[in-house]
Amino acid sequence: MAYLAQLGALADELVAALTSIPEAQRERRDAYREFVLRSLRHHTFTRTNQFEVQDRLDGLEERFCVVGRDALARALRIRLDALESHRSQTTPEVLHLLLELADQPAQKSNLSD
Amino acid sequence: MPPNERAEKQAAAQQAVDILHEIATILNCHLDRRTLSICISMIENGVNPEALANVIKELRKQGQEAQLEAAAASARRR
Repeated sequence: MAYLAQLGALADELVAALTSIPEAQRERRDAYREFVLRSLRHHTFTRTNQFEVQDRLDGLEERFCVVGRDALARALRIRLDALESHRSQTTPEVLHLLLELADQPAQKSNLSD
Repeated sequence: MPPNERAEKQAAAQQAVDILHEIATILNCHLDRRTLSICISMIENGVNPEALANVIKELRKQGQEAQLEAAAASARRR
């Protein structure tokens, strides 16, 4: 029960952070919250494979070099190395999420951001 | 847990979030620090990352549509 309450609170926060729907439109926010909880409970995705995540990150680093974005490749490597000392059980899953949300980084990423 | 140990753990967790946020920026994920922290908490609670990524993409789409609706409504009122 506590788990569901915590996930519900996080779903609320996620909706508020991503949709900017005002607090006054409570029904609409509640509908999105239900959508989030339903989608997270019922899905067909398999568990994260940490080796596959590592391969995808290595592949990205290589791709950055191939397209002449060596500074971006270096920046990624430095952060991945730094993350090693902070690694937790869920680090591969979080990196998996970031890979799924990556938006054409070789073309669009800006190091000054 | 003693207060010192708790503070150290919190600082280490913050550093991990900082590094992950930098990686998110390098990968152009369009995630601010607050949203990333929410996502990390969800994953720590057992949420599947691919399912979460799909939810985020859908919420962004819905958020954009809501903003367009609000802008159109505001233009009609003028």
